[in-house]
Amino acid sequence: MKSSFESPSRVRIALLALVLTTFLGLVAWRLYSIQIIQHHDLGTRAMGQYERRIPVASKRGTIYDRHGRALAISLDAASVFAHPGLVQQPRATASRLSQVLKRPAREIQAKLQSDRPFVWIQRKVDPERAEVVSQLNLPGVGLVPEGKRYYPKKNTAAHLLGFVGVDDRGLEGIELQYDHLLTGGSQSFLSRVDALRRIIFREAEERPVGSDLYLTVDEVIQHVAERKLEAAVQRSEARAGTVIVMDPVTGEILALANTPSYNPNAFGSYPPAFRRNRAVTDPYEPGSAFKMVLAAAALEEGLVTPKDLFYGEDGTIEVAGTKIRDHKRHGWMTFRDVVVFSSNVGAIKVGMKVGKARFYNYITSFGFGVPTGVDLPGESRGLIRRPRDWSRLSLGSLSIGHEVSTTPIQLITAMSAVANGGHLVRPYVLKAVRHPDGSIVESRPLPVRRVISPETARTLTSIFTEVVKRGTGQAAGVAGYSVAGKTGTAQKLDRQTGRYSRTKVVASFVGYVPAEHPRLAILVLIDDPGGTAWGGTVAAPVFREIAQEVLPYLEIPPVPARDKRVARRPDEASSRVN
Amino acid sequence: MRGEYDKVLLTVTLILVGVGILMVYSASAIRAQEQFGDPSFFLKRHVIWAAVGLATLIGVLGQDYRQLQRWAPLLYLVAVLVLILVLIPGIGTKVNGARRWFRFAGLSFQPAEFAKFGLILYLSRLLARKGERVREFKDGLLPPVILAVVVVGLIALQPNYGTALVIFASVGALLFVAGTRVSHLALLGLGLAPLVGLLLAQAPHVRGRVLAMVDPSQASPRFLYQLNQSQLALGRGGSLGAGLGDGMQKLFYLPEPHTDFIFAIIGEELGFAGAMGVLALFVLILWRGIRIGLKASDPFGCYLALGITSLIVIQGVVNVGMVVGLLPTAGLPLPFLSFGGTSLVMTLFGVGILLSVSRCPPAYQGYLRQRGGMR
Repeated sequence: MKSSFESPSRVRIALLALVLTTFLGLVAWRLYSIQIIQHHDLGTRAMGQYERRIPVASKRGTIYDRHGRALAISLDAASVFAHPGLVQQPRATASRLSQVLKRPAREIQAKLQSDRPFVWIQRKVDPERAEVVSQLNLPGVGLVPEGKRYYPKKNTAAHLLGFVGVDDRGLEGIELQYDHLLTGGSQSFLSRVDALRRIIFREAEERPVGSDLYLTVDEVIQHVAERKLEAAVQRSEARAGTVIVMDPVTGEILALANTPSYNPNAFGSYPPAFRRNRAVTDPYEPGSAFKMVLAAAALEEGLVTPKDLFYGEDGTIEVAGTKIRDHKRHGWMTFRDVVVFSSNVGAIKVGMKVGKARFYNYITSFGFGVPTGVDLPGESRGLIRRPRDWSRLSLGSLSIGHEVSTTPIQLITAMSAVANGGHLVRPYVLKAVRHPDGSIVESRPLPVRRVISPETARTLTSIFTEVVKRGTGQAAGVAGYSVAGKTGTAQKLDRQTGRYSRTKVVASFVGYVPAEHPRLAILVLIDDPGGTAWGGTVAAPVFREIAQEVLPYLEIPPVPARDKRVARRPDEASSRVN
Repeated sequence: MRGEYDKVLLTVTLILVGVGILMVYSASAIRAQEQFGDPSFFLKRHVIWAAVGLATLIGVLGQDYRQLQRWAPLLYLVAVLVLILVLIPGIGTKVNGARRWFRFAGLSFQPAEFAKFGLILYLSRLLARKGERVREFKDGLLPPVILAVVVVGLIALQPNYGTALVIFASVGALLFVAGTRVSHLALLGLGLAPLVGLLLAQAPHVRGRVLAMVDPSQASPRFLYQLNQSQLALGRGGSLGAGLGDGMQKLFYLPEPHTDFIFAIIGEELGFAGAMGVLALFVLILWRGIRIGLKASDPFGCYLALGITSLIVIQGVVNVGMVVGLLPTAGLPLPFLSFGGTSLVMTLFGVGILLSVSRCPPAYQGYLRQRGGMR
């Protein structure tokens, strides 16, 4: 047998081996291409199919007032979601969920059959129901912890705090302004899923925690401001109102209230107008309160002294063909009394002395026409036209606070500059941030610029004190304290006629107390009070009411009045005649 | 007379079986838990089959392979018989549209796996007896081709084109090394080409898979999905792999992770290094198998060794070629590694024959040298 053994050809065997190894070589080359060259691309694509981004609202930080009283907190809740692609029996799943969540099965089934990779079935479910859902263990359906925002003090500081939407993102106020701090880092985490059904949660994944915020606001002062404003608006049958209480030295906002207001726990049931933070969003014509800027300019430039005399023209002056009147007929009066009694005629004459360019410079220097930079959303810049766009009437109009619009926050910031000796500061609401790691970062007052000299500020303060002592702002006086301030009564532009309305006004008072070492600057604005109302009659009393309660609360001691002498006569002294 | 068996081949075989057990468990545990509530459901069965296979291997190793020469016609007849039986509804079990299995008492048996060895045995006997006459067409080439066509045809009827293709290629390889004329083989190939074309045109699932290879945009999403998931698995593995057990693709992304596509899981978990290692083991099998064939003491042993080696290596090549996307997907296990009792036992039976052949001394070496090893 062996001798006849016909051996196979070595060449053919070698060829066969060559073909097979060549094929294996091709496979190896292919593996190299897939596993080494395309590793990154394919790995990323593979990862893409395992990973599902589960939105998770971080535990939103708490908002406290300056003394650590909670104003906005997050309660634990859970939200039910589904990955429609992973749901096996949409109909059965929907009917079971429907029983627990008390929602129509059809509605749920429609969600389960949607094309999207991720749908919310129901947000913010209470813990008991969430537990039932989790025990159902339905394929493709999951639960994720979510915070439910709650404002324990209801309407208090509503316009400051704002509110959050259903996805826990801030929509207004501080909630919007500092959303990034409150939410912390990621708003979702990755979970791995297998191809058919299960979501592989990584339990170790901790829910991100946001930072806590401490506001400059004092809940007590805020509450006082809101109460007094609400009462005044009702009493005067006004359309709306605003109060801002601020530390004039630092720019810290101690209280900010608007009427009408709303309850952020149910923000959806209020019209948008109620939710608007008028204090920063709504510019208005300041009227006589704006004489503060004019007086500052005239004094700082050395164009007048308090004792300079101006003739009141018996209550009427004609500027560029328009007659402008005073409320009272004034004869000769000092510059001081022009402000104290808020004479329009006198103010216009002062305005002529200051002139367009200089007046404009002071207006802008005091921060009008640009946002104050307060850390609240939606701030308006107000409106001040450039001198080259002014008409012949404009200088006169501006002297009495028309043809300019300012937000309440701009006006109180300007007044604070007078109060604190001449520094314009940036108003702010965020006092400190406490990060999740426990570190605390405090905000610092931000001086913007010096706008007037300390001397001018002192002189203005003495004049504004007299506004309250014996002028238009007497209703703002607080027994035992020296109050400085300025009233304002601006006729509103009638939208329909395009002319200033005789009956509709914005009445305001902006002032500070104690005058020499001010601790509080308060602005009161009453929009469209009924009847005949002036800043001195509807706004100034609110200032008093607030100051009366807040001063003792802040333990600011009353100063025994240095001089009981009352300068009643405007003609005490005169050096110059105008 | 009886010498030492090939220890390298045995070692390579044991390594492959070991890797197979490991990877079958890794690839199947989560599925097994899901389907049967027992993560080691497939592992247990695989280990049992491996034990049965190794026992068979040792049993065959101790025997003289030349006894098989007598049994070869009978084995061939049994193979054809079971291939016919499996096609009969009620006897063969239909899975995924193909009638490939006998099922009884929780066990399943795939006759095609058995039939391919039966065919190779009979062809080896035939070729050994024909000797130089294989160069003739009618007397030499035609009988083995007819024997092969019967088996391949019956398997294609199941349908199981993957196995049919492997057997067809292995028979071609065996006839080629046996010394048939290249012109005859080419003629045969030309004659069979229309048949293959007809087959492709008639079987929509085959056409779909081929299309998925040639023009992905024309292919049905299902075949693309499998191809795509396989590549994602390999690509994710990178050079060193995601780590044993850390594969994600087996989580129902990749179909058949522990059977036909186990090589993709190897690539994912053990990386390029692991996949190349497996390829290297198959190269070693090829080398040792050819070596055994060349050293065989008689032509029957020689053809047996070359035929079995071709079967194992070609099936390996086709399987990994399909996993890496070089060949259309076909249901075909990777020898030694895939889960599947018949395949594993029969492969180890084949290795047992190889080892048995390796034990006979190379008595014809001088003759080879005299011929110059050339033709």
